[in-house]
Amino acid sequence: MGIDIGNMLTKVVVLDGDEVIASGIMDTTGNVGSEIDGLVEKVLADAGLEREQIGAVARTGGGAELVEGCDIVEDAVNCVAAAGAYYLPDINMVVDVGGQSITSMLLNDDGDVVNFMRNDKCASGSGRFLEVMSHAVGVGIDGIDEAAQGASAPVSISSQCGVFAESEVITHVNAGEEPADIVSGLCDAVASIVSAQARKFSQGDQYTLTGGVARIEAVAGRITEKMSGQFHQFPHDPRLAACIGAALLAGLDDLV
Amino acid sequence: MPFAGIDVGSLSAQAVLIEDGRTPMLKSIGVRLLSRSIRVKPNPLDSARTVMGELLEENGLSWNDITYCVSTGYGRDQVQGEGLAQSNVSEISCHGTGAHALAPRVRTIIDIGGQDAKVIRMDSDGDLVNFVMNDKCAAGTGRFLEVMSRTLGVGFEDLGPLALRARGRIELSARCSIFAETEVLHYLQKGMDQHDLAAGITKSMADRVMALARRVGVEKEVMMTGGVAKNVAVRAELEKMLGLRMLAPSIDPQLMGAYGAAVLARRARENL
Repeated sequence: MGIDIGNMLTKVVVLDGDEVIASGIMDTTGNVGSEIDGLVEKVLADAGLEREQIGAVARTGGGAELVEGCDIVEDAVNCVAAAGAYYLPDINMVVDVGGQSITSMLLNDDGDVVNFMRNDKCASGSGRFLEVMSHAVGVGIDGIDEAAQGASAPVSISSQCGVFAESEVITHVNAGEEPADIVSGLCDAVASIVSAQARKFSQGDQYTLTGGVARIEAVAGRITEKMSGQFHQFPHDPRLAACIGAALLAGLDDLV
Repeated sequence: MPFAGIDVGSLSAQAVLIEDGRTPMLKSIGVRLLSRSIRVKPNPLDSARTVMGELLEENGLSWNDITYCVSTGYGRDQVQGEGLAQSNVSEISCHGTGAHALAPRVRTIIDIGGQDAKVIRMDSDGDLVNFVMNDKCAAGTGRFLEVMSRTLGVGFEDLGPLALRARGRIELSARCSIFAETEVLHYLQKGMDQHDLAAGITKSMADRVMALARRVGVEKEVMMTGGVAKNVAVRAELEKMLGLRMLAPSIDPQLMGAYGAAVLARRARENL
């Protein structure tokens, strides 16, 4: 079992070997330490398992210390990289866009992380950025793909700062621009910010995208357009990458 | 006949008229100063026309009474292009000129506006030596304080006095304004003291400004200009970190850009 306490979402998966047999996602709250039990119970029920049948539990993510009773604690970078490298052995880079961070990880042939870059100091380009911006257009983060369709003249968002970009978006809304054009411009802005970081690893020419933002087609598609390398689709819900990676590492640990 | 300066900022626009000799309101420099400040309009031209138009009307004057006008700030070239000003000068030069005219001893200006922060170094003649600017990130600008005061549920002007009354200080770990907003909301939900949070916000603001100031170096005397200079707690925190007392400008620090523009207008006229 893997548990990932992200800045915005908390995820739980149960693996049998390398197969995801059950998973669950909830919002990360201030009480995640107690609320996690409910999610774990639900995932176990979906998997048809009892807690005692779980070989090992690994936790990861920014809030990992809030959850008790785990066998191992893994760094999120290692978990995401492990998941990417396991399912996609040909890749040499994972680009993870989470709720509050953008991380590019360069992998060697063994799938180990040889270098990584992370921006978690600033909301620019993160899921939180998209959430604030899409809210300003009156579209939820889940409605972005639909809202971005049919854009004819995407607006240009020049600010990287979330606060300044929000003002730009509001100006566009007040100017009566089409929501599709604004949302499309937003997706483009996020894709530019993410790819600007990832492109610094010029060796990373075989890559996958993980994290919640990778799930938004309108953003993921634009990132792949801006990147020069070959994109490999992560075979599971990309939000679960770190969690699955944690479970894979827990499985390895259990064998030792 | 008055000399004029118009400064259109990101959040507010200022107009200043100065007149030599008559009724010295600013005794130290023997100049009569009239001013007005408004919230900006969607376009800089409207802001400039409105703020100066209102100032003139208020004082029974018309555009024709202006001898020479210099525009600065957003759309300063447009403002000149429309004939509202005879020339335009960068905000950096205007703040430098204004501060130097008021206090010739000033060598460093910390100008924090609505959406940017600048640290400007000048020589003894008031000429620009070097400057650094942050206009990419809201942290360390007036916008950060605006977002934070809204999050705390207090007025922008109340944040400084609130912080001064704090007994403790809750330091923010986030630099990013968006993350800091989440952090402050979280502390408020936990019932943390509003004063202590205001003090933490002040500290975060001062930290960002100091990081900028270190890049260009700080030389005495130091003057703070721009809207954020009115925040007493940020001023006090910066003085503590710099280990010096800053010069207090004899005019509203938010008017410094427009005042400097008006001083340059007078000089331009003298040189004609």
